[in-house]
Amino acid sequence: MKNVPPLSDFCASHDCVFEAKGLKKEFDDGRVQALRGVDFHIEHGEFVAIIGPSGCGKTTLLQMLGALDLPSGGILHYRGNSLPDLPDPSAYRAREIGFIFQSFHLLPTFTALENVQIPMFETEISASERNDRAIELLRSVGLEHRLHHFPSKLSGGERQRVAIARSLANGPSVLLADEPTGNLDSENTGHILELIIRLRHEQDMTLVLVTHDLNIARMASRTIQMKDGLIVSTREAPHTAN
Amino acid sequence: MTFLTIVVRGLLRRPVRTGLTLVGISIGIAAVVALVGISRGFEQSWATGMKSRGTDVVVSNMGATLTPKPFSATVRDRIASLPQVAATCVIFVDLTSIEDSSMMVVSAREWGGFSWQNLKLISGRMPKDAMEPVVVLGQTAAEVLKKKVGDTIQIEAEELSVIGIVDGGAMVENGSVILSLPLFQKMSGNEGKINVIDLRATPGMSEDEVRRLCEQINGLIPEARAMVAGEHLGNSQAYRIISAMSWGTSLLAVIVGVLGVMNTMLMTVFERKQEICILLAIGWKRGRIMSMILWESALLGLLGGIVGVLTGSAGVHLIEKLPAIHGLLEPDLSVQLMIFSVAIAVGVGVLSGLYPAWRSSRLTPSLAMQG
Ligand SMILES: Nc1ncnc2c1ncn2[C@@H]1O[C@H](COP(=O)(O)OP(=O)(O)OP(=O)(O)O)[C@@H](O)[C@H]1O
Ligand SMILES: [Mg+2]
Repeated sequence: MKNVPPLSDFCASHDCVFEAKGLKKEFDDGRVQALRGVDFHIEHGEFVAIIGPSGCGKTTLLQMLGALDLPSGGILHYRGNSLPDLPDPSAYRAREIGFIFQSFHLLPTFTALENVQIPMFETEISASERNDRAIELLRSVGLEHRLHHFPSKLSGGERQRVAIARSLANGPSVLLADEPTGNLDSENTGHILELIIRLRHEQDMTLVLVTHDLNIARMASRTIQMKDGLIVSTREAPHTAN
Repeated sequence: MTFLTIVVRGLLRRPVRTGLTLVGISIGIAAVVALVGISRGFEQSWATGMKSRGTDVVVSNMGATLTPKPFSATVRDRIASLPQVAATCVIFVDLTSIEDSSMMVVSAREWGGFSWQNLKLISGRMPKDAMEPVVVLGQTAAEVLKKKVGDTIQIEAEELSVIGIVDGGAMVENGSVILSLPLFQKMSGNEGKINVIDLRATPGMSEDEVRRLCEQINGLIPEARAMVAGEHLGNSQAYRIISAMSWGTSLLAVIVGVLGVMNTMLMTVFERKQEICILLAIGWKRGRIMSMILWESALLGLLGGIVGVLTGSAGVHLIEKLPAIHGLLEPDLSVQLMIFSVAIAVGVGVLSGLYPAWRSSRLTPSLAMQG
């Protein structure tokens, strides 16, 4: 992110990670308006929960933040740089962002250890460093005993742990999680959330998490409520520690 | 884990499909090896045959048939006197089926001509004079015809006796039935006719000088063309047709290979659409995805090429042993041909991977979020 010149005082705070103004996203030549002009900013180290009914645009918003797709209009900045104008969005995804998906999205033909190494091919580290780092990450999610298991041989909770380890592979500064516990039972949901929150804290990451579960949203430092492609309210959690 | 692990894993996820695709390419490459190996071997064994006869230039009229067209023996008188010509030997070559064997080369040579000199007697003796009704057999010809000294052999309705077995130092020579020219001319009603003049240039002439000599001869005689020995085969229309057919068949086999690999790689891209989107979403560059697909198809080509070269060579060795062909075929299975064939296979792989790789690079990462 170094060669992009910073934009001027667009963002109020120095620690501003994301800043959006009038952000729009349309599909099918405008027939579907997934985002209809949203404004928000997310500060460094925040834990923001995004809630709202199905189809209101939560996943679409996360895709914009992760530069997986281009907005149809409006402004979206990451640390002062316009995301749609990034010269190399893949480098941004590889180094700045860690993605956690609802259905884990591990690659089925690779072991846990290998899945965690896959994002590291975008950085210049040796094969043995990749291996060591992946083992370290799997240890940090409590899976040191499952290194050589294929995803099909892991439980749902274990799969999501591998996916979390993978999202941390290149030391991102932002975690984007789309209903990370949506496919898990309540016990695993608790463990996975604890894990994500602990890792975010340890590694000083910003966390944007989409959820249906109001109990989860309550753990966030801020909750953004969406409806029909718009942000309808933003609520700070006054006493929750980040 | 290295990038190669990822590539190999991609191929191993559908082992049966990968295996069948490999079989497809290797059949194509085996065809290339076999056909090119055989036709080049044919060419080369003629060249070594000429060398062992001590022939520098061959004068003949290669038409559309496998044997050259006959012309008058007097043509020789017009070139023998050239200062660059050290010696000449007139010959009548025929390709004919003898008894129950398939095609054999019958080489009727000028009595006393230099083409007799390199024949080493293994058993029996040489003919006593030009009209003695006898033949000598190259050692392979003797094996194929199952003849030994003292047996008789039927050529052009005449019974001749086998008087000697010789080693001619080259496959073409060893596969021939050799007799005296006047005897053959009389037997076959071709008096005064020949179809080949073997020519020795004065010693010490460079290749360029020999080539110039050929041009000079061609200016003198319209009946036939002079060619540097070994190259004359390429001038035969029949040989050219055979050669074009073998290249054509090889090309077809390679095209089929390309389509097979392309189909497999397209299938794998469609099948792995979501995985590719996930790779994009977690930061892989499009170029890396493309190179993953290209490496997979190149590796498929490489393996197919290796298997193809092995089966092709094995096949040629089997064909060589067939009784009908035994001794007539000296395939050129050189290292160059093998490397060339494997290179073709890798080329096939890369070529077939280009379109699928391009398709894979056009997938959008946001698809990863769906489902
Ligand atoms: N690629 C696409 N093409 C067309 N329409 C799309 C596409 N992606 C999303 N949409 C539409 O945009 C709207 C917002 O979708 P989005 O996936 O962001 O919803 P969501 O809030 O994540 O819903 P859920 O809670 O069910 O996951 C929906 O109406 C959806 O149908
Ligand atoms: Mg969603």
